[in-house]
Amino acid sequence: MKSKSRPLEPDPVIEAYKKDVDVTLIVENLKLSVEERLRKLMRTQKFIEELRRATRETTRDRL
Amino acid sequence: MTDYENLLTLLARAGVEFIVVGGVAASAHGSARVTEDLDVVYARSPGNIKRLVDALASTNPYQRGAPPGLPFKFDEETIAKGLNFTLTTDFGWLDLLGEITGGGGFEQLLPHSVKIPVFGIECWLLGLERLIQLKRAAGRPKDFEAIAELERIFEQESR
Repeated sequence: MKSKSRPLEPDPVIEAYKKDVDVTLIVENLKLSVEERLRKLMRTQKFIEELRRATRETTRDRL
Repeated sequence: MTDYENLLTLLARAGVEFIVVGGVAASAHGSARVTEDLDVVYARSPGNIKRLVDALASTNPYQRGAPPGLPFKFDEETIAKGLNFTLTTDFGWLDLLGEITGGGGFEQLLPHSVKIPVFGIECWLLGLERLIQLKRAAGRPKDFEAIAELERIFEQESR
């Protein structure tokens, strides 16, 4: 999905935030197909849910 | 977990006219940020609303965050009378949007969308440039990091 090369008008606030973007993650994601990106998103969601569940159980056990 | 594969294939195979927007659209474009719901803008024609309702009927759609037992009926009349719905379904969280701020509805967004093959179906995805424009127009501070990342993606894609 190559974008058109028309440059976006820079916004100074967004430009400041851009400094902190990890471009290496973007470069790796752009190597994947759309389907692979969405499957990766679902795997990440599942992992986060598992962490939340484990955290809830650990916190409950300590109380 | 929201099952994007089942939700997207269910809608596409039922012939529902919709465009994927929001966080999942950002992920599809290459964002590394995590989102937990699927946002779609659907066409508001009576025929499309019928297809939408028929497609989702078997997934037990219910208003997200609402207490159980409210008289919410997911049917054509409800969808036609309302506009945007935040739902839970058996496949996860689904936001049905009749319009989005600054972007309008399905017909207005379609020229700015791209058709993508995914999960064995084809569906419309809001284009990266329009996604950035809409997030910028919304002007919400919580979106600043996401916009910065999308603009980095745009720069990478434009190389």
